[in-house]
Amino acid sequence: MAKPKVGIFGITGCAGEQIVILNCEDQLMDILKILDIRSFHTALSENDEKCDLDIAFVEGAVVQPEEEILLKEIRKRSRLLIALGTCAVWGGVAAMKNEVSRERLKDEIYGPAGKIFESIPAQPLCSFVKVDFSISGCPIEKEQFLQAVASLVHGDIPILPKYAVCTECKTNENTCLLLEKGGLCLGPITVGGCDARCLSYSIPCSGCRGPVEEANVASEVEILKEKGFTLGDVHNQLRTFAAPAEALQTYFAKRGRE
Amino acid sequence: MKKSVVVNHLCRIEGHGGINVAIEDGKVARVEMDIFEGTRFLEALVVGRSYNEIPPILSRICAICSAVHTITSLMAVEDAFDTKISTQTELLRELLVQGGNIESHALHIFCLAVPDFLGYSGAFTLATDHPEEVKIGLGLKKLGNTVQETIGGRAVHPVNAVLGGFGKVPTKETLLRVKEELIKGLKDALVAIEFIASLEIPSFSESPTIYAALGSSAQEYSLFGDKVIFSSGDSREIKSYKELCNETVIPHSHAKHSYFKGRPFMVGALARIMLNGHKLKFEAKRTKEKLGLNSPSENILHNNTAQAIELVYSLERSIQIIDELVERGIKDEKPVKIKPKAGQGTAAVEAPRGTLYHSYTFDKEGRLTRADVITPTAQNLANIEKDFRASAERLVDEPEDSLQAKLEMVARAYDPCISCSVHLVRLTPKRTTLPLR
Ligand code: SF4
Ligand code: SF4
Repeated sequence: MAKPKVGIFGITGCAGEQIVILNCEDQLMDILKILDIRSFHTALSENDEKCDLDIAFVEGAVVQPEEEILLKEIRKRSRLLIALGTCAVWGGVAAMKNEVSRERLKDEIYGPAGKIFESIPAQPLCSFVKVDFSISGCPIEKEQFLQAVASLVHGDIPILPKYAVCTECKTNENTCLLLEKGGLCLGPITVGGCDARCLSYSIPCSGCRGPVEEANVASEVEILKEKGFTLGDVHNQLRTFAAPAEALQTYFAKRGRE
Repeated sequence: MKKSVVVNHLCRIEGHGGINVAIEDGKVARVEMDIFEGTRFLEALVVGRSYNEIPPILSRICAICSAVHTITSLMAVEDAFDTKISTQTELLRELLVQGGNIESHALHIFCLAVPDFLGYSGAFTLATDHPEEVKIGLGLKKLGNTVQETIGGRAVHPVNAVLGGFGKVPTKETLLRVKEELIKGLKDALVAIEFIASLEIPSFSESPTIYAALGSSAQEYSLFGDKVIFSSGDSREIKSYKELCNETVIPHSHAKHSYFKGRPFMVGALARIMLNGHKLKFEAKRTKEKLGLNSPSENILHNNTAQAIELVYSLERSIQIIDELVERGIKDEKPVKIKPKAGQGTAAVEAPRGTLYHSYTFDKEGRLTRADVITPTAQNLANIEKDFRASAERLVDEPEDSLQAKLEMVARAYDPCISCSVHLVRLTPKRTTLPLR
């Protein structure tokens, strides 16, 4: 079987996913054996910008018009497009206040120099192109990436957890930070896959992987209010990593009508 | 005759950047840093957020420097609220920062710089002829990550380092295991130093340079300090960072340029070695002698050499920190309680690429009203322009492709961030599409 032709691309983010890929030090050479990496600017100096690809891994959110064009070009070239990381999947930290005008932000930070470039509210890839598969996390978990690569090479679509961080936390028999310690923990509404990483350090989950399917945001908010958190703080936390996500948008839309 | 070099992919500060060099009639007509980044406005977006949300959000500025961003951010918040942390926390934080330094320097030296000096296109091609060196490089990179994972709970965007301390303090056994690996890593690094010592460093990029780094009255070399010192003999309080990062908005660039007393300056490993190198001890000191950085250098290509020295230093220092922690007896401390109040806090730490500043103002509830982050690459931009000009002036007669290759080396020496420094220069008259990274 021919090796799948692969491109690894970064739009706007912190390059966290590309760093995680390079952090697979023990597997890097093997990855090169099973994938025909045609484009990976972080690691290769010769990149094919035109060829058709079997798989495109794309990291980062879209924050300027040129990036939308770039993303559509990648989509056109590639059989599968896989969103890597919370920025690509949900918009990420850059999307936390999309209601604030970009013109105002530009002016605040750059003054007159801000005039020379365009900026749009940060959006996940799926706002512009069809995404075949998503691996979230800020950053992604190395093992999930490696498993995904293994499945894809065999022609399978990878399987990722559909349960919440909360489930993983219980399996690990941690003390519940939310119910027993009154921490602002988003574990119940955040999609698992990190093995409840933060909770094993007694740090509440800040939701860096984005919402789990059918997340009950309203009931999470009620619990947090009972624990004494202000609505403002809870809303801020909800908006940190995945503000454009449907579950959160729906919640905020309802809230607005109340 | 006209020549132009368009560097499409210089550095990620918060996005993409490049350099434009135009040569007309045998003279360097124009050298411009061109930043066309996709900006994420993170400093503006955190306004209104509660103090404890700031460090994890602002660590997302950069993945490869996320450990030092986190620590600097924690220190700036604690500075604003006059929080005193334990010595154990200080040591663990330093260990995390050293882990980041090991990872970043190993990656840069073995995957970017060495291939450059030997004329390879990257680490993967270098691996065919020099598999041992690449293996050592990847091993050291992994070791830096092990340190970051052990202390920070994650190699990228650490979760365990929080305000006032750590979520969970690593056990003595875990630390001693890491120490064993560090001892082995140090041996490997010293082998690799022999190889690095054999590389020839070209001098085309030499030009008078002002260096800046954190300094202190302590006897030991450190990535921390209480003031900013300059090779011109000046020094400044960290709190008055605005004076030295006197940022000017440049019309051709989305980024702001930093000048000290009207002149560009360089921050990074080379600046640190130039200013504080006399404080190095043990193998790091011997490495500095071996690699010939005992006398002042004004050649940015020596930044790679300086990183190699620091790699040895960070390994040795990490071992030392673990010994110190174990000797003091590891206490299972809970993070110190934070008492927010209105005020301003500023902190600076030496990141792999140079001095990193975080400065915040909070209201009395501890909500952020202003955030200011100055990254090393932002400070270096003006100096990069200076070095590009100096090099281009010496190389005007070279054919475009060799000029291009050499200018790429200059840019890479700054280690502006891996993702953008691999594919730097494209000889196209004009940038048409956004470069990938
Ligand atoms: S998802 Fe997180 S780690 Fe990945 S690019 Fe975005 S900010 Fe960085
Ligand atoms: S526990 Fe929550 S915040 Fe921590 S890594 Fe998992 S999803 Fe992210």
